[in-house]
Amino acid sequence: MMTEERFLTLVGAYGADPQRWPLGERAAATAFLDANPELVAACLEAEAALDAVLAAHLTRDPSAAFRGRLVGAAPRQRAVGRTWRWLAGAGLGLGLAASCAAGVAAGFTLAPASVSRLFEPATGQSSSLADPVGDVSAS
Amino acid sequence: MTSGAGRDAVDPDDELVRRAGAGDAAAVQALVAAKLRRVLALAERMLGDASEAEDVAQETFFRVWRHAARWRPGGARFDTWLHRVTLNLCYDRLRRRRERPVAEPPETPDPGPAPDRGLHAMDTGRRVQAALQALPPRQREAIVLCHYQELGNIEAAALMGVSVEALESLLSRGRRALKSALADLARPD
Repeated sequence: MMTEERFLTLVGAYGADPQRWPLGERAAATAFLDANPELVAACLEAEAALDAVLAAHLTRDPSAAFRGRLVGAAPRQRAVGRTWRWLAGAGLGLGLAASCAAGVAAGFTLAPASVSRLFEPATGQSSSLADPVGDVSAS
Repeated sequence: MTSGAGRDAVDPDDELVRRAGAGDAAAVQALVAAKLRRVLALAERMLGDASEAEDVAQETFFRVWRHAARWRPGGARFDTWLHRVTLNLCYDRLRRRRERPVAEPPETPDPGPAPDRGLHAMDTGRRVQAALQALPPRQREAIVLCHYQELGNIEAAALMGVSVEALESLLSRGRRALKSALADLARPD
């Protein structure tokens, strides 16, 4: 419910332009104004006159040189991209090196047993490929 | 424009800031185009000195570039954060002025040539600037944020660290002082 007191407070704080009034109270304030135009006319006129004077205070546009300085000081994608590419490359290299090392180590520790299982004959005797020394000794 | 809205669900600047932080040249250009004039106007009206305002705007954008890569959506709106940074830098300068009073008042900004603006309007602009500078800083801040920067009342109050009622009190007192200082210009028809 908009009261005269609240309406005058709103106009005294935000000025005469309804577009500047708080969104939550704008409809009620506008309805109050429509219903009581003469009651608030003097207050609205005084605030509208101040709004018009305040509107005369303009600020200058930033120069192109100033804009350019600020843009030039911003972070650059190329530098960032190069860093990330370097890091990604280094990471990939390290990963590959670690994989190779792990593969070699696994080969040393696991290869004899697995290879012998692969070539183990049904009879349970070692094959010549699996045990060349045994083959020689058998002959 | 004054509204009752607080933090929107999506900050329209989030994506632009994120891209600028990643070094996207187009986003950097767009962010400067969108915000520089606003930052400069805020600083100029708070300080009443175009040269100092430019220094403040430059430092504000240097801080934007330093923080953009780490900007996380969901907190304060970027525009609100930008206003806070600018205001802090302005208050640093106002404090220094009080500590080291200068012999001459700050230069009155020259709004520059504009084809649709006559001498009378330029004079009026200077009068308004002088009247704004004569206000207590908190009243000036409230007027500049709500009237010129067109922040919503909730956003402006949060930015100033006061209630909406306190903001309205600052605005009312500021406008009364301006009406008095500009009484010869601000006469109803």
